Amino acid sequence: MSVAEKRSRACEKFLAKVHNITGKEGVTPSALHAIKRKLVGLAKKTALFPRADFEMPAAQGRNHPLLVEDGDGLGLYLTINMPGKEAAPHDHGIWCVNAAISGRERHDFFRRTDEGETPGRATVAKVGEVLVEPGHGMAMGDHDIHGTVVVGREPAIGLALYGYALARFPSVVWYHPEFSSVRATPSRRRALAG
Amino acid sequence: MGRAAKIFSVTIANSKRVIDCASTSTILQAAIAAGIDYPYACASGNCGTCVSHLESGKVSMLPRGDASLSAEQAAAGMTLACRARPRSDVTICWPGGGEKKK
Repeated sequence: MSVAEKRSRACEKFLAKVHNITGKEGVTPSALHAIKRKLVGLAKKTALFPRADFEMPAAQGRNHPLLVEDGDGLGLYLTINMPGKEAAPHDHGIWCVNAAISGRERHDFFRRTDEGETPGRATVAKVGEVLVEPGHGMAMGDHDIHGTVVVGREPAIGLALYGYALARFPSVVWYHPEFSSVRATPSRRRALAG
Repeated sequence: MGRAAKIFSVTIANSKRVIDCASTSTILQAAIAAGIDYPYACASGNCGTCVSHLESGKVSMLPRGDASLSAEQAAAGMTLACRARPRSDVTICWPGGGEKKK
């Protein structure tokens, strides 16, 4: 069996475990924690994810679909982000679990501190951080807010599981402490439906 | 000690404004600081909302995701205001006309 076939089987098996977990208890914090442990286990099987099988980013960040379910199904990706690649604090509207294969990415978690009285304005405060490195992962719920940055000199290569495939994401809401602003990207789900 | 930032003139064609932008700042940061309603969302090189036409001048780019600016857009002189830091005086324009009325 080729590495690609082994990888495909391992991903299918992993997703079956995810459905088993969420089928029993829904998408709860403990379910996300259990899914994270499974994803960390999959990411440890580094022989399934040889670098040669995945194109490096043309710029500094790239997502490779590993297993994307139809409709409103789950999306499992291999992500490659180069040193310095960052994402401002954002809420992608759907839960997500990450685990590192190699390299290190810091996830900073935030909570909104204003009441949303003024359109386009928002303030957030950092409430925690997790370093996603080999043997570790992170899990976040539907409307948690996180920002990311690749630390160190190595590319951060990891697995990411989302409650929806990336192409079917709800609108992503971005927070900018520097500007005290909040902005939303259009819903990709609506764009697909249109 | 790092080198001192140079200050360049950035012309935002949509709003017909010329603003100062330090070589250590992105064009988006300088535009917002100058009160220009520049279109943006992620401001971190992921979404492509601030994609703009670099009409003249040179910029250097902070890290970004592949999906935020296609190779075709880059070849056509497009850039991301949130990732672009000036390396000369610059003229830049976002697609779709003038600045939104506030």
